Amino acid sequence: MLIQTTQLEKEVTTSDGILHILQPINLEIAAGETVAIVGASGSGKSTLLSLLAGLDLASKGDVLIDNVKLSDLDEEQRAKLRADKVGFIFQSFLLIPSLTALENVMLPAELAGAKNAQQQAQELLRKVGLADRLNHYPNQLSGGEQQRVAIARAFVGTPKILFADEPTGNLDSVTGQKVEDLLFEMNQESGTTLVMVTHDNDLAQRCQRVLTMTAGSLVQTKPAATQQEGATDVA
Amino acid sequence: MWHKISWRLLKQELKRGELTIMAAAIVLSVTAVLALSVFTERLQAGLMARSAEFLAADRVLSSRRDIPQEWITKAEQEGLQTAERVVFNSMAFAGEQLALVDIKAVGDGYPLRGELRVAEQPYGAEQVAQGLPQSGEAWVAAALFQELELAIGDTIEVGRSQFVVSKVLTYEPDVGFSVFTDSPNVLIRYQDLAATELIQPGSRVRYNQLFAGTLEQLEQYEAWLTPQLNEDTHNWRSIEDGDSPLARSLQRAERFMLLASLLGVVLAATAVAVAAQRYCQRNYDVVAIFKTLGANKRIIQRIFVLHLLLLTFISITLGLLLGWLIQSQVIYWVSQQLGTALPQSGWQPFALAAATGLVSAVMFTLYPLLRLISIPPLRVLNRDLTGNNAGRWLHWLASGGTIYVLLLIYSQQWLLSSALFVGGAVAAIILLTVSRLFIRVSRQAGMQAGSSWRLAMAGLQRRAQANSVQMLSFSTAIMLLLLVLALRNELLADWQAQLPDDAPNYFVINVARDDVQKLQQRFAEREIVANDMYPIVPGRMTAVNGVPVRDEVTKEEDGDAADTATNNAEQREGFGRELQLTWRDTLPPNNTLVAGQWWGDDAQPQVSIETGVADRMNLQVGDELEFNIGGSVFTVPVTSIREVNWGSLQPNFFMIFNTATLTDFPATFISSFYLEPERKSELYELFRPFPQVSLIDLDAIIGQLREVIDQVSLAIAFVLVVVIIAGILVLLAQVQASLEEREKELVILRTLGASAKLLRQSVTYEFVILGAISGLIATLAMELALWILQTQVFDMQASIHWRFWLIGPVAGAVVVGLMGRLACGRLIKRNTAQLIRRLA
Repeated sequence: MLIQTTQLEKEVTTSDGILHILQPINLEIAAGETVAIVGASGSGKSTLLSLLAGLDLASKGDVLIDNVKLSDLDEEQRAKLRADKVGFIFQSFLLIPSLTALENVMLPAELAGAKNAQQQAQELLRKVGLADRLNHYPNQLSGGEQQRVAIARAFVGTPKILFADEPTGNLDSVTGQKVEDLLFEMNQESGTTLVMVTHDNDLAQRCQRVLTMTAGSLVQTKPAATQQEGATDVA
Repeated sequence: MWHKISWRLLKQELKRGELTIMAAAIVLSVTAVLALSVFTERLQAGLMARSAEFLAADRVLSSRRDIPQEWITKAEQEGLQTAERVVFNSMAFAGEQLALVDIKAVGDGYPLRGELRVAEQPYGAEQVAQGLPQSGEAWVAAALFQELELAIGDTIEVGRSQFVVSKVLTYEPDVGFSVFTDSPNVLIRYQDLAATELIQPGSRVRYNQLFAGTLEQLEQYEAWLTPQLNEDTHNWRSIEDGDSPLARSLQRAERFMLLASLLGVVLAATAVAVAAQRYCQRNYDVVAIFKTLGANKRIIQRIFVLHLLLLTFISITLGLLLGWLIQSQVIYWVSQQLGTALPQSGWQPFALAAATGLVSAVMFTLYPLLRLISIPPLRVLNRDLTGNNAGRWLHWLASGGTIYVLLLIYSQQWLLSSALFVGGAVAAIILLTVSRLFIRVSRQAGMQAGSSWRLAMAGLQRRAQANSVQMLSFSTAIMLLLLVLALRNELLADWQAQLPDDAPNYFVINVARDDVQKLQQRFAEREIVANDMYPIVPGRMTAVNGVPVRDEVTKEEDGDAADTATNNAEQREGFGRELQLTWRDTLPPNNTLVAGQWWGDDAQPQVSIETGVADRMNLQVGDELEFNIGGSVFTVPVTSIREVNWGSLQPNFFMIFNTATLTDFPATFISSFYLEPERKSELYELFRPFPQVSLIDLDAIIGQLREVIDQVSLAIAFVLVVVIIAGILVLLAQVQASLEEREKELVILRTLGASAKLLRQSVTYEFVILGAISGLIATLAMELALWILQTQVFDMQASIHWRFWLIGPVAGAVVVGLMGRLACGRLIKRNTAQLIRRLA
């Protein structure tokens, strides 16, 4: 298993007592799988994503990525793990405003110490159809274009896992559709494992597996049985 | 790799103007420090050079004995210019007439600083003298022409020599202010001195050796010479030692400039501090993204430290350039105004300015940067997350320490720095408390007001903590501005009072008792404003409480000086000369009693002494002083101690007796008066009936004093401008920062359908209230600070400045409100969708 959680819990202490955001969650995601996590706002899906990505720490239980226990790692080691194995796409794109499209895409590769960062980034930007926008700054790009830069950034350094948080949430439906197509296309091509949090049921249905989050508990609503090929070769 | 990222970020952020406030703050602090320190250094050097004229040299070695030739040779080897000046009293004869004169024999090169001025006729048009009198000639003060009934070309006899009077001496730079003891001067060549045979063993002669050169040469020579000096016979002087009105004005001006510059530096540093906070907040998202993408802390640290350093270096370079440009413009302008070139400054101000920029940028950013680096990556999902708040004390320590160190470096006076710092810290705490109180009170008041007011009040209250910090920087900025402004007005007013347009420009001395009334009548007829006539009785103070005072003369005549000194440890050091004693019924103007009581009709013999004398000789009310006037010895008790304003151009006295004590002694009278320059020609006619009266012309001295004050006033105006710019930058940075905090709320209100007008109004009101309260607090703090400064630092009368109680709050409200409105207007112009995206 590429991603595995055992009795994963998250609680926060508020003035009214302890709030359980995540009930114990056991989850396994195999390499190459595409998984959507859907659920109402406040159901805990973003929290789950942050725990899986090692951005936050669980209160109880464990997350294992590539058989490495995240709770055994310190913040620096978790950052290293993200640099080596993880890509991100966010609802609000989160591009760095003072870097060009090219520089934004190069960034993760540079941070991971890749030699050919610029070459990789140019290639990816060409793939997402922004070959002529390399030296534009985020504020000079439309929302769709920004998200395409973000997708290029997510795939640079060929990560094993891609986490996406409402990737089309800030886009109109036509642009959103195009970005969606691009995302799945690139994912297919690279065989990356995709974990996506979304409201959008149509988007979720394009994933092999759909998990629904309700009040901190996870239920599988689109079973692995209906998996498309590509994921089946992984046990 | 990280340095490339750092540079990329910086390049684009600079281009987009996101770093403007931070860069501007650093640039300003560097510019301000450089311009202020270069300017003050050059101006001070200029003032020193100008004031050196009062000594006719940079340093003077004064001695009662001949000055050893090897000392002079050594000075010349060091590259110093030197000239002799020998001064003594003697009688001068012309035909049947004779008069007591001061003979001044001077060597080649005199005066080393300043210039002599001469006229062809008494009270005629003067011009700068070329060189010195020829051998066998003398230049003579105008008063002597009257006394000896001289004309140009006549001969006077001094000792065994005869001199042809070739010019009227109208101005000597080193004439000094001691007009009462001086007889008219006769200037001759040093080489003619021996032939007069007036210098005999035991004659009372002052040998002065004048020195001029660079500060370095002077200091080197001073170090060599000082150990060889005998405290009793030698006196090494520079212009700063004087107790003249000029020295006082200079000292005050220096203190003011130092203080104002310090405040300017503090303001600039505050601007950096405010900007640094914002600089780091802006990068919270960037750091979170970096961390999410897998950057470790070390790399992020390096990226941002380099980013900050690059920004700092660019800003410092710009600041140095700008500061240099500004000061050279100002110096050029000042030189034009004053008609003199100011000396060049060294490299130190540049180093000081660069260090100030670097230290404040690094130290004020330290804590915000630590927080920035600790931003959790989770912020990418939860935008409200910020770094940990722990270690806030570190921030206060770093900022406070930095300000203190800056004060210390700049003033090089730990006492002044500590006083300012502690005072500032106490003021900050009080300000913080008071501003919170104000916010609470105004919230209650606002409940009854209209909707935009209510919104404004609610806003104020909600952000009470943030607001009280903002208010602290608003108040500080406004307070420092008001302080510098008020202090400047006070200083100028004080100088103006010291030198009113009709300040006495002539002293008249040696008026016979019988002539007093006649002279006063003549003054009245011609509508000339004259001061009171003061009688003068020369006398010596010989003993205190029965113990004789140590007198230079007795000691000199005593072969065993050292022995006498040890035996008489109890003895007080006397004046060593005759004093000018006077009597009077009322306390003279410009004198204030500090101890004892002024006599009314009390006819018992008694004396009132000046505070300086009381301190120096350790005298108190009740001590019995013994005086010897022309062989008649008597004892009087001290019944009061007076503080004398030596800056006032009126006759001032160490000792004033009640009328009954002195009135029977022979006395001459003295007074001062003002005569318009264009009426100068009347003088001869005015004093013709009083041939023994001497007249001393103060126009030249007053002119010099005015010139110096003009120069200093210019400097103060410049300092004021720099402080104002610094203050405005602080306000601007703070408004910008506070508005960013309000951004989210504005967007929500806007989305909920609040009209642009309502939002603009509520923000404007909020800033108006903030500004007004800050202004009020600032005025309060300013009054307190001013009171302390005036009484403790400037020796001035403290007063309350009612005008500022209006100016402070109104200016605060207008300026802060206006800035808030402008900044808010820009924000509201963006459409809501754009705004929401900015916040998402």
